Amino acid sequence: MNYEAPPEAESTRLNDFSFTGSALEYFGIWIVNLLLSILTLGIYTAWAKVRRQRYFYGNTWLDGHNFEYHARPMQILIGRVIVIGYLVLINVLNEVNPILGLILTIPYLLALPWVFNKAISFNARMTSYRNVHFNFRGSYWRALGIFIGLPLLAFVPLGIVAGIAGIVASGDAGSAVFVAVLLPIAFLAAILFIPFVSRASTNYIGNNTSFGDAGFSIDVGLKPIYANLGASVLFCIASTIGITVIIGGLFVLITGAELNPEAVQNPLNNIGTFALFFLIGILAYSPFILAYLFYSAGMRNIAFNAAYLDGKHRLASRISRTRYLWIIVSNAAATILSVALLRPWAAVRTWRYLTFNTYFASQGSLDSFINVQEDKGNVIAAEYLDIDGIDFGL
Amino acid sequence: MIMDRVPEKLSGRFYFPDSSAVAEAELRYQNNGFRVTVLETGEMHFPELRELGDRIGNVPRKIYFTDGSVFECADNDAVDLAFGKSGHFASRLTKAEGSWRFVIVATVVTFACLFGIYRYGIPAAATFAANNTPSAIISAIDSGAQDTVDRVLLDESNLPQARKDELTVLFNEVAEASGHKDPPLQLVFRDGGRIGANALALPGGTIILTDQLEALAKHEDELAGVFAHEIGHVNERHSLRQIYRVLGLTFMISLIGGDSGQIVEDVAGQFVLLETFSYTREFETSADTYAVKVMSELDRNPMAFVDLLDRLLDKYGIDKDRETSWLDTHPVNKDRRENVRKQIERFSR
Repeated sequence: MNYEAPPEAESTRLNDFSFTGSALEYFGIWIVNLLLSILTLGIYTAWAKVRRQRYFYGNTWLDGHNFEYHARPMQILIGRVIVIGYLVLINVLNEVNPILGLILTIPYLLALPWVFNKAISFNARMTSYRNVHFNFRGSYWRALGIFIGLPLLAFVPLGIVAGIAGIVASGDAGSAVFVAVLLPIAFLAAILFIPFVSRASTNYIGNNTSFGDAGFSIDVGLKPIYANLGASVLFCIASTIGITVIIGGLFVLITGAELNPEAVQNPLNNIGTFALFFLIGILAYSPFILAYLFYSAGMRNIAFNAAYLDGKHRLASRISRTRYLWIIVSNAAATILSVALLRPWAAVRTWRYLTFNTYFASQGSLDSFINVQEDKGNVIAAEYLDIDGIDFGL
Repeated sequence: MIMDRVPEKLSGRFYFPDSSAVAEAELRYQNNGFRVTVLETGEMHFPELRELGDRIGNVPRKIYFTDGSVFECADNDAVDLAFGKSGHFASRLTKAEGSWRFVIVATVVTFACLFGIYRYGIPAAATFAANNTPSAIISAIDSGAQDTVDRVLLDESNLPQARKDELTVLFNEVAEASGHKDPPLQLVFRDGGRIGANALALPGGTIILTDQLEALAKHEDELAGVFAHEIGHVNERHSLRQIYRVLGLTFMISLIGGDSGQIVEDVAGQFVLLETFSYTREFETSADTYAVKVMSELDRNPMAFVDLLDRLLDKYGIDKDRETSWLDTHPVNKDRRENVRKQIERFSR
């Protein structure tokens, strides 16, 4: 990565992002938000979201100016009502007729790129700094290719092997070995394909985002992404070994004494045993969550460090992947063990870590950005992604 | 509001219309209009107010004007006084959020509310919603469930028609005694396949008896008790109540920690799963109680179906004498026997 300043270095200033919020102050906001949300049976959550965002954005500073969040609670509420109505409808349809639910996935996948674009657009439009708003202008077809096409492509080898496995399932031992060899190769192919997806989506979001009349530009290379992927895979393997040891210990401790072989053979007759397997299954899945967080933290650095604003100002991110992971995991533990009372502290801690490790190297004055009225995005799309837990970057 | 405390001017920063350009400035309200004076140049602007931003924490206040310019003032109290906003919702909220006394009270009240909702609110709301769900929706869910169960778990029944007719007569007798009407009840016979000896109740009134359970029964009363138990599930709408309770619990958890991330979400998911087991245990006990009532009215032996259950456990080699654990979907047989015994006493009195 090239950290040197571009040749026409007219007074480069390295500005730190900082955060002036505090866990104690945010606790007050959080508990009032929660109380009013309960008393209004959830309606206040829209107001709560706006207050939370305004608190975090408003206390985030760069070069003596803070950020602002502009979404209206009423907008958010309408978006949420529509999204929840849609989700209820889809779930009821699925319950009544699973085939129909399956057919509906196709229009859903086709609508998703539009939803992504409009959601990113809305969140960008609702953010401002120094009286100038961010914008995002996406293209449906490029989003379709990047967010739906590329990920599907990654699964083609896996799909083929699964298909073969289905055909030879009743076959001889030779074909079973054949599948057993092919399956890891196809899986590896899918993993090795991830950097292409990351690169395409990072460049797509970066190059279509602007700050007022000034565009961001970004061109991340594959090399650092593969390095990040390699580290993430190693991390995944290491944490799998660690968690396997923990689960093994727990399993023997809890059930070793009374594990009933007949009940295991017929799990539906002893759903308790069945549930225990399910629990362990979820724990076993956690190395992938951890590795995903590890990878995203690395991707944040790669993306920010390759980004320019208006061709001259530069962004930088220097978060440590392991430190970030530690913060996320210990935050989760604190949140659960305190029955959510430490949630405000955890939220402030994460945000503070991210802001204090983000930098902006400006070239000359920042006085001349002009606010541009653009496509406002769509609040329903933004709320859909929010409620579904889909998040772009950190 | 005390008039003489209203500040005559606000000091802060002025962002020029639709631009990131900024200057130290003062804002005054004179002759029914705003006047912004840029300190360095003395330049004056007379913008029209679009909106005053809501107060939050110690974040500097923004005053938005119609021409796209913004005045920013760090002194929130002065802004509130100048605009007469002290009594307004957002400003009151900010004061409440900043007062430790209020925050402590709010914390206690919030967690008391959450406990009450978790313990009483959600079950009551789920029962109410289940009782008010239109039959059309239930029967639609039912036909979907029947398809799935038939495809995945069950096969055609091998019982002779004469035996089926006999059991249908018995079923109708129990159904009539139960007084249950809507949704209409129907008994169907299936081979248990993977689930073996069992009986199921679908929410829409379809009750499935497997051949294996029929073979295990030694007395009519045993199967009559099973029918009464399953009718209890339908009558008290247990599957719907289960769905609504899980929905309510999930909603409550997302209110508390909705933005806490994947790890917290997964752990919360496990907690919800454990809760659903406690719900099903509660519903099983309730259906047993229902069965005792119906069987007592028919002068049949209400304890018979527990004997059948004991035989069922013996068949699958499951320990009858262990204690109920939090991973069980059904109470263990000795607890069920105990409950049935108590209910028999109650109904015979």
